[in-house]
Amino acid sequence: MNKAAGGPVEVVHLSGCSFSSSGSKQSGASLTCMPSPAIGTGGGGVGGLEGWRPDRALVRVQDLTPDKADQLIWLRARVHTSRAKGKQCFLVLRQQQFNVQALVAVGDRASKQMVKFAANITKESIVDVEASVRKVEQKIESCSQQDVELHIERIFVVSQAEPRLPLQLEDAVRPDGEGEEEGRATVNQDTKLDNRVIDLRTTTSQAIFRLQSGVCQLFRDTLTKKGFVEIQTPKIISAASEGGANVFTVSYFKTSAYLAQSPQLYKQMCICADFDKVFCVGPVFRAEDSNTHRHLTEFVGLDIEMAFSYHYHEVIESITDTMVQIFKGLRDNFQTEIQTVNKQFPSEPFKFLEPTLRLEYTEGVAMLREAGVEMGDEDDLRSEHLARTYDTDFYVLDKYPLAVRPFYTMPDPNDLKYSNSYDMFMRGEEILSGAQRIHDAQLLTERATHHQIDLEKIKSYIDSFRYGAPPHGGGGIGLERVCMLYLGLHNVRQTSMFPRDPKRLTP
Amino acid sequence: MYKNGEVDPAVRALEARQDEIMRKLHELKAAVEGLAKTVTTPDADLDLTVSSSLSSHSCSSATFKGVTDLDTVLGKDLGALRDIVINANPAQPPLSLLVLHSLLSQRYRVLSTVHVHSSVTSVPPQLLSCLGPRHADSYARQMFQLGFTLIWKDVPKLQMKFSVQNMCPIEGEANVARFLFKLLAPYPSDPALATLVDSWVDTAFFQLAEGSAKERSAVLRALNSALGRNPWLAGPEFSLADIACYCCVQQSGSASAAPANVQRWIKSCENLGHFSPAKLLLQ
Repeated sequence: MNKAAGGPVEVVHLSGCSFSSSGSKQSGASLTCMPSPAIGTGGGGVGGLEGWRPDRALVRVQDLTPDKADQLIWLRARVHTSRAKGKQCFLVLRQQQFNVQALVAVGDRASKQMVKFAANITKESIVDVEASVRKVEQKIESCSQQDVELHIERIFVVSQAEPRLPLQLEDAVRPDGEGEEEGRATVNQDTKLDNRVIDLRTTTSQAIFRLQSGVCQLFRDTLTKKGFVEIQTPKIISAASEGGANVFTVSYFKTSAYLAQSPQLYKQMCICADFDKVFCVGPVFRAEDSNTHRHLTEFVGLDIEMAFSYHYHEVIESITDTMVQIFKGLRDNFQTEIQTVNKQFPSEPFKFLEPTLRLEYTEGVAMLREAGVEMGDEDDLRSEHLARTYDTDFYVLDKYPLAVRPFYTMPDPNDLKYSNSYDMFMRGEEILSGAQRIHDAQLLTERATHHQIDLEKIKSYIDSFRYGAPPHGGGGIGLERVCMLYLGLHNVRQTSMFPRDPKRLTP
Repeated sequence: MYKNGEVDPAVRALEARQDEIMRKLHELKAAVEGLAKTVTTPDADLDLTVSSSLSSHSCSSATFKGVTDLDTVLGKDLGALRDIVINANPAQPPLSLLVLHSLLSQRYRVLSTVHVHSSVTSVPPQLLSCLGPRHADSYARQMFQLGFTLIWKDVPKLQMKFSVQNMCPIEGEANVARFLFKLLAPYPSDPALATLVDSWVDTAFFQLAEGSAKERSAVLRALNSALGRNPWLAGPEFSLADIACYCCVQQSGSASAAPANVQRWIKSCENLGHFSPAKLLLQ
């Protein structure tokens, strides 16, 4: 039966079969044809659209290795490129980060029309292919599967792509320098983000987001092993916790509400509710009109909060150990992904020490003074100095001055000018701001008053500490920023699947 | 000799001078014997662990004559912990530096930390605890005079970094040992003696640690004859030469087959108590 445009197309080429074209002109090379009853292929549809389920196992492209030589296999992949050359058509079939060369050649398996058909399949179309795997004499350098190629016997188009793509994948993956040198196109970030679905298909994007998934997984696994409980906190809240300037307002029936800037309050309430050690993974909303390489209006926060026994350094050690386990997990299990990203965005591998280096704020200042710096890019210079001395891209700066920290930060009992608070840095940029929290309702009220915060607005927060609260502390990291810095990338939008910033709300 | 039945005054003067010389000789002998007693000798009844903890302070003051002022050697303390950072390969632990660290910790308040760099996958537990237990006050960095940070890293050659703004890195265990030693005590002022110390340090790290079996035996013979004349390698005083040679003898596995004087000297070194960190690592 004739199928509508976009439906599966079958081209059957066993001897004795007739091939006819329906004559309807459609965009691209879609051909509809009559399945020959002599062959009895039973309509040849692809599962789902036809309603029947072939007894067929699809092989993954990454498993196409010499040990499958001479086997006849089925696979589904995208057409990355197709190129006719006389009586042959060369295709590169792609599946995520893997691709393989395939060949349709005129012979007893394929007719001239089939070769033409294959050459005309638009890029990015999804095809089902039955082919025999053949070893090759010379390695195919341009593909991930270098030792084999496919000799196609049957090819079906499952889903056809429009012929004009908004961006070419090879351009999207080209390193910026290379593009300028050879006069070839690269794709700028906005175009990539506007056509994110296609941009995410590139090997680089696949690698980045697989690594990001790994970060989440390692975060959860490490903390669970340490006895932490995962919690979910509300994102629609009634009062802005950290001071009201950078919150999004939403209409909430007859009043308004806010989108949470951080799970801070709720993490602490869980500690007061005896959960002892908690973490949560969820969106964080910051209405900051910052258009920088490292700010998003919505990002994924990985937050930790824990009660401690005697000293808030127990919290720092727990957090830094979690970070180190994440770095080790990435180093040991995601090298393929890291190398793939480095092909397009070269960078130095991420270095760290175990246990993590911890310096005090005053030491950092003295270090900079010694180098003759009074004001300016302190973070950059300090990090560079530490990288030179200790060869680490990750460290903790402890005991910040009390004046620059939020009202709920516990002051240092030995020197009230300073606080039990800390920041953590990766490649010179801040990724975590944390502290011991004030767990005494009286002291909290005093500090809030000192910061001129309306006590009415934070009444329920202060109430949590009135009925026995353990000493506790914690901190939160941004998933996108950590991935960006681990890989040595320069813009957080590269590590956010569908980024949100003051100028972007779609896709 | 006798004139008019009385002793000739010239003879009397000669006798007086002779008595004076004899008196001085006696005094010198007593002084040497006193010094010999400060050099401890193997005593089977003495419990080493007790003696090293009790005598830790007296030991370091008796071990090294001469005082070093940290501010003079390292520059004024500007508020950041003066941290000595040593990058060492876990395949070749620097025993002499561990010994020097133990000596430094007795003299100064040292904040010691051990890290594993990401270039190394894992390190045996004894390498993580080789600087001893964590100091109780380690959460208060400003209370320490000196930092000693040991990083196990995949480096081809041992490397020390200190004050990277002002100093280039120092490479090689021998050179780092010399730097650390000078924080404890100055080199002997006598240039010949100072050169002798340096010569033994080089012999230890080149011929003994890295040399062929033939070179090692030659060194052991040289050690034996030097130790036949003096209790320590650079004369009457314990010095960096002894630290370096002891560690390299032990690391090269030559201790058990060493000649008699060397064996005696090894026991004397161990009796001082500073070599326990090295011995722990060799087990």
